[in-house]
Amino acid sequence: MKNALTIFIFTILTTLFYWYVGQQVPQKVTYPPKKLELRDDLTTDEMIEIGAEIVNGKGTCQSCHGLPGGRFPSLDNVGAIAASRIEGMSEVEYLAESLYDPNKFIVDGYLPGMPQAHKAPISLNDKEILCVIAYLQNQGGSPTVSMQTSHSFTGTAPEDAGGGQVAAAPASNLDGPAIVETYLCLTCHKVDGPGDMVGPSLYDVGNRMDKAALYESLLDPDATLTEGYAGGVMKATLDGVGFYDKVSSKEMKTLVDYLASMKGGN
Amino acid sequence: MKKKLPFYLIATVVVVLMLIALNHLWTNWDAARELSNALAEKDAAGAPMDDGGTLEYREFPVIGSRVLVWMIAELHLMFAAFVLAVPMFAVIIEFIGYYTGDKRYDDLAYEFTKLLSTSFSFTATLGAMLTFALIILYPRLMGYLVNIFSWTFLPYVLLFFAEAGFLYSYYYGWGKFSPKVHLALGIGLNIVGTGIMFIANAWLTFMNSPAGVTETGALISTWDAINNFTWMPINIHRLIANVAFGGSIAAAYGAFKFLGAKTDEERAHYDWMGYIGNFIAIIAFLPLPFAGYWLGKEIYAYSQTLGIVMMGGTFSWLFIIQAVLIGNLFLGANYYLWVSMERIEGAERYRKAIKWLLASITICFIVWATPHSLVASIEEARKMGGAHHPILGVLGVMSAKNTAVNVLILTTYLSFLLYRRGNKEATHPRASLLKNIQFGIFSVVTIFVIVLGVAGYFVDATTRIGFSVPQVLSVLFAMISIAAIDVFLFRNAKSKGEIKWGQIKARAQYALFFLAITFTWLMGLMGYVRAGLRQHYHVYGIMEDTSAHAFTPTLGFAAGVVSVTVLIFFALIAIVFWLSSLSTKKKWEPKDASDDVYGLAEEARS
Repeated sequence: MKNALTIFIFTILTTLFYWYVGQQVPQKVTYPPKKLELRDDLTTDEMIEIGAEIVNGKGTCQSCHGLPGGRFPSLDNVGAIAASRIEGMSEVEYLAESLYDPNKFIVDGYLPGMPQAHKAPISLNDKEILCVIAYLQNQGGSPTVSMQTSHSFTGTAPEDAGGGQVAAAPASNLDGPAIVETYLCLTCHKVDGPGDMVGPSLYDVGNRMDKAALYESLLDPDATLTEGYAGGVMKATLDGVGFYDKVSSKEMKTLVDYLASMKGGN
Repeated sequence: MKKKLPFYLIATVVVVLMLIALNHLWTNWDAARELSNALAEKDAAGAPMDDGGTLEYREFPVIGSRVLVWMIAELHLMFAAFVLAVPMFAVIIEFIGYYTGDKRYDDLAYEFTKLLSTSFSFTATLGAMLTFALIILYPRLMGYLVNIFSWTFLPYVLLFFAEAGFLYSYYYGWGKFSPKVHLALGIGLNIVGTGIMFIANAWLTFMNSPAGVTETGALISTWDAINNFTWMPINIHRLIANVAFGGSIAAAYGAFKFLGAKTDEERAHYDWMGYIGNFIAIIAFLPLPFAGYWLGKEIYAYSQTLGIVMMGGTFSWLFIIQAVLIGNLFLGANYYLWVSMERIEGAERYRKAIKWLLASITICFIVWATPHSLVASIEEARKMGGAHHPILGVLGVMSAKNTAVNVLILTTYLSFLLYRRGNKEATHPRASLLKNIQFGIFSVVTIFVIVLGVAGYFVDATTRIGFSVPQVLSVLFAMISIAAIDVFLFRNAKSKGEIKWGQIKARAQYALFFLAITFTWLMGLMGYVRAGLRQHYHVYGIMEDTSAHAFTPTLGFAAGVVSVTVLIFFALIAIVFWLSSLSTKKKWEPKDASDDVYGLAEEARS
């Protein structure tokens, strides 16, 4: 009987150990993408914002395109080079093809394998893909698409493909300074005057960076590093405070607008 | 009293730990249930019905329908794996007995087979429970799968009947038929068992990598739906994993009987049984990572997105838990061999090698369990200069991990070689040359594996992934060629002493339990990732999960469900062990005349 009891206790202890290991890794719940109706009169800025959200969420684009040297080409600067990728093909057409029929043209040095964005499991509809194109054009270039733009693939995606889903993001009424405080930006950046801490001062960041660069510096902090600052710190910090999980598109826009307005007291 | 104190102390600690774990699990469970309820309320307007007005989901109280199906499916799978695995090695052991004329092997095969009949009943009962649960709780999904796989159900049922026929005639016919006929029954049992598994695998792999259907899910070809991307890799992976798992449970049975043995003869028998069970488990375990690579490769080939969700996204941290489990399996298996060497006369000359083997395993374990990116506080990340540790980050990539697992396999193989030659002294005229060749193969392969691992840091991703193939092949080459040389080397070897079966420390038996529990937990975890990969899809890319349980829970929650399932499995397997032991128990005898309703005492006297 004692043997049986000892074996029982041993079984419980070993199982508890593995249960404990399971509690020590990062804990994250992944939700299905939520449905959202996209208006036909979205402004370019709104399209970029929604495009960024899709690229970082439902589109799962950053899993492969997120870092230089990754599985697929980095999206940094794609807006600047898209027009010259295939001779005679416009920027919008090229970006549309790369989303609807991604394996038709493969960038040198990479292998095919990207799924079609308008088909399951990603299932973006035409409107969402236009927003993604706006975001991509904004990476080093200037967006030219609107919600009325048509291209060779328009109408290919079913209207209800995925139901116009984008990653969930709660709305909030925080203003710029409150967002900066919420996500602990002040731990590393000064805002009330010049002078560097762990990161450069944000006091006059509006003079140094436009809105596109600010979006990029938040979404992919290591894409362009200010000289003299270590890479990885801001990304780790934002990951640590759950910025990428919590920030809504509205907050993102408010934050970028606020930072763009920081012109050193002018 | 003094001796009992630590036992009660441990028991108290266990109870306290269980309460803490249950509290944590319940908190997690509550949070998950709250979330499910919130989502269910939100979707209440239309979600439960599809366009045709058919009910899509029903909810199971308290734990929810998803967790219920999850646990029943895992339990069914664990018992099914055991029932399919035991006949495989039972037939091989029986054949060894027949071929060598050694009756011990025949007895051992029978003892393994005794575990089957109750397990078979449990498997069938759990399978029926799973079917009912799915039909009741997920009617839309089941309706769709029935439509796709309707042609497979009849052969499945017929094979199941055949399995029952073969299994019971194999078990009850032990010693009643000629050995050849009996072996044929065993082979038949294995063939139908494998057929059943292949059919069931078609259903579940279709959910992960659907084929043979249009983009909207309409059926084009049932055969293509069966022969989808991950079907054959899962078939092979499960076939091997089942043997490893079954061997470990059979070894645990040997350990259980050893600890309760009353005589030296019993102890010797069950020590040997535990050793053989563990040997089977480890031999099957060694090629398992390679089958896993193939499965992973096919998942990527089917869908890059699915592959990335598995290895680089939501489930990437699950593989750190897996690394801990597999590292422990290697550690446990080696530890058992090292302790076992103490019962072999002459094996003490190899004892000094243990510390080096342990060092190798520890280093490889550490490398394998190193995550690619570290979760750190803001201050820690700032000090570290990013999420990747400047030194440890180098160990977190696939080049290092592939190298580590290959070296782990080689180290375990070396432990086994030392164990095997513990009491042997080669008398072959070219023994020295053969040993040098073995040493040369081992050294060259080890260096080759490490060099490819290091080279992986300096080449592009495609080349780096390609390096895993020569690494694996070279390790397989080393194992097969060294084993082949060993056969010649130790033919007619001089004995340096005997193996004293039964003279082994109790802690070796606990190592066997540890391996069985770890195998079972690992099976539960990998079952979760295979199904969880689909995230909010029932059938990936075809049929979305629109229920309240469509979200992917935390790994902590999953670990809780796996742990509870493992404990239920071991409670049920304890019943199997107990029932199997009844056959060797003494017959009941009446204590007095009032008990003697059949007149047994009188009959005995006459």
